[in-house]
Amino acid sequence: MKQVLYIKSASAISPQHTFYPEQFLEPLVNSDDNKLRVIDIDYSKYISPVAIRRMSRLLKMGISSGMQSLKDAGISQPDGIITGTSHGSKKDMEQFVQDLIVLKEEALNPTYFIQSTYNSVNGWLAMQSKSTGYNQTYVHRGASFELALFDAWLMLQDAKRPEYYLVGGFDELTDNYFVIKSKIDYWKKENIDSLSLLEHSDTPGTIAGEGAAFFVATNDEKDALCAVPSIKMLQDPDAATIRKTLAELLEENGIAMADIDVLLCGMNGDASTQDIYTPITESIDTKTTIATFKQLCGEYETTTSFALWLACQLITRQEIPEAIVHKKGSTNSIKYILLCNHSVFRNVSLTLVKAVK
Amino acid sequence: MSEKIVVTSIGIISALGQGKNAHVSAFRTQQSGLRHPKHLKSKYADEFVLGEVRLSNDELSELVGLPTGDNGYTRTTLLALAAVQDIVNDAGLAILQSEPTAFINANTVGGMCTVENMYMEFIAPTAPEEYLKYIDTLDCAESTQRITEHFGLNAFSATVSTACSSSANAFIFGARLIKHGIVKRAICGGCDSLSRFTLNGFHSLKNVDKTPSKPFDQNRLGLNLGEGAGYVLLETESSAKERGAHIIAEFSGYYNSNDAYHPTAPSPDGAGAYRTMQKAMEMAGIQPEDISYINAHGTATQSNDSAEGKAIENLFGSNAPYFSSTKPFVGHTLAAAGSLEAIFSMYAMEEQMIIPNLNFETRMEELNISPVASLIENVALKHVLSNSFGFGGNNVSLVFSKP
Amino acid sequence: MEDLKLTLKQQIIDSLNLQGMKPEDIDDNAPLFGEGLGLDSIDSLELMVLLERNYGIKIEDAREGRKILQSVQSMAEYIQEHKKVS
Repeated sequence: MKQVLYIKSASAISPQHTFYPEQFLEPLVNSDDNKLRVIDIDYSKYISPVAIRRMSRLLKMGISSGMQSLKDAGISQPDGIITGTSHGSKKDMEQFVQDLIVLKEEALNPTYFIQSTYNSVNGWLAMQSKSTGYNQTYVHRGASFELALFDAWLMLQDAKRPEYYLVGGFDELTDNYFVIKSKIDYWKKENIDSLSLLEHSDTPGTIAGEGAAFFVATNDEKDALCAVPSIKMLQDPDAATIRKTLAELLEENGIAMADIDVLLCGMNGDASTQDIYTPITESIDTKTTIATFKQLCGEYETTTSFALWLACQLITRQEIPEAIVHKKGSTNSIKYILLCNHSVFRNVSLTLVKAVK
Repeated sequence: MSEKIVVTSIGIISALGQGKNAHVSAFRTQQSGLRHPKHLKSKYADEFVLGEVRLSNDELSELVGLPTGDNGYTRTTLLALAAVQDIVNDAGLAILQSEPTAFINANTVGGMCTVENMYMEFIAPTAPEEYLKYIDTLDCAESTQRITEHFGLNAFSATVSTACSSSANAFIFGARLIKHGIVKRAICGGCDSLSRFTLNGFHSLKNVDKTPSKPFDQNRLGLNLGEGAGYVLLETESSAKERGAHIIAEFSGYYNSNDAYHPTAPSPDGAGAYRTMQKAMEMAGIQPEDISYINAHGTATQSNDSAEGKAIENLFGSNAPYFSSTKPFVGHTLAAAGSLEAIFSMYAMEEQMIIPNLNFETRMEELNISPVASLIENVALKHVLSNSFGFGGNNVSLVFSKP
Repeated sequence: MEDLKLTLKQQIIDSLNLQGMKPEDIDDNAPLFGEGLGLDSIDSLELMVLLERNYGIKIEDAREGRKILQSVQSMAEYIQEHKKVS
């Protein structure tokens, strides 16, 4: 019998009001320049003045949501820290490479170089929490966060006592990144209101986002927010593979599509990737609510971390905010959420989230 | 009791060349692969010696059956393709495709080797058409995705990036996937190519030696950068025997832990390195005296060698096993370092030799132990330990045992 | 020398992003590393970048750098001795 992964806490810094529990998505935040940037919190509450002065936004976001997640779980020293990010500290990398070129390889700042290493958030979280345990960073595009969560699940299979892993996903948006990817048509050509993203699904491109979300994953069911019984990762699957994987997921958990209360989809308004969701939405039960989230957080490779945070909120609050409803169902309570997501590189993931109470 | 994990194929390319013979003969003749770079275009090319792979991008492209010229492939990906190709040729594509084979890749700077030459054009209002195919090549997973597409390895893939310990972590993840029955086999390792970004990055840390590095030497000045790619095929012992595969070594122990001390420097007393080595041996079910050789991380920086040296001394006492850093042969290959050095450790075990720690002259004042300075042959090696310690306090030790 | 020290203090504050600090908060002879300002090894490297960019002074050896960077006073003295005339 495989050990189930439980989520004991979830913390997200995002373009919406998500960090403070009393402000759950209120008021909604939108943009009209195809970019959604996080709402900065008071990072100085989580990072000492000596450390914070050098840090990039990404480091501050990652460290703060990680430390808050530990605090919420009542864990001071996790057994391990596992993260996923597709591009890490973009800003630091950009600054270093630009200086390298402009200053012709002279007098370069080491801080930007050091912070551009992909596991710098991990290193800081380990120092702050004094965690000397397992420490790993995945940089696998749209599966980066999924791999981190999967790895935590794999660690928990060997656990002989209650173990707690800090698991996170993060990516940042920079002006340069936006300009660069616009050259290969990542974004909508026309500026749109971010909240209406899904209404523009007939044209290519999406909107850019960023965020950091952290969780304490454990084998200890006590006081868990929810469980994550299945994580499936696919690379550029065809419709048949998606259907087959969905069927496997349902069978492994002894449920049917009719048991899914909410289908939380990563549809991002890009006409060229809508087809990924068809094999799932075509088999959805009428009672299931279809919800979307990228109109809230924008598109980046670790959006599954935002979606998982959101799923935790739906289950613990037992409510589905209007802002995410794409097609209203008739479910009375939320027990099962099927989270499906994709990235520009056609990493597709199906994650089942289940209420434990 | 879980099944033994074994290594059945190796693919490697570095400044010493490609494959086992090129490396072992260089170890025997004590001939370093460091030189002033010919392919990397940096203002420091004539000042620094680096572990540059001799082949040009065109030569690498030809080697892996790709068109030459501006083909959209970065040097990082080409190096990785060359090394993985050797595994595929050895094990056979049929077995790798017919039964689930994971590809676990490690990388630190992705396609920066290429992108740093086009970056200003990327952020300008328009970029030349021919540059557009490189826009998605910067991130670490680019090489991973190219390889899985090239060889049709679709079962499970991942990219790890934990600085200098990256590919050692890739080995661990691959082994765990096999042990839990997620896949039947795993190709694990890492790649990194030289770039002005990393050369200048380490130079800004003032821990780069312009001349060949001197690990564990009192007068060491820092590291030399290198490039390369190294991968191994992992599977269970029974799976290897079932298909009659030659078993190179048993992957008998491993451990990953964090120093939790400083963003780039190790804890000075070597506590992190100590714990990692100790736990890896514990997992392998062996005692310190069972270790015949340690392939040290040995970057020749002040802080690493001091911390690692103290850790070795404290853990093994005055009867420390033979140890050496092989970085003076190929440079510090960043994400590839863990896998290259694990492979060197296995070569040493197969050839019953101790690879020398080149350029060593003077023992460090704070240590009572010294690395092996010249080649030793005809040594019975049963268990070898390979260390990789990265930025962010990421420490990994791997143990390989004679099958 | 006094002007140089004042300028240097502001440059240190800017370069190391010592938020909320003003030049008058930094004593000429206070140790910059360890106690005193409590800067670390990465800061010392950043200060060497400051010396190179602003004064044309290149320090290759990190250990030699630490001696020069002991205090604002020692930095100012070194700059006066070695500054490249532009």
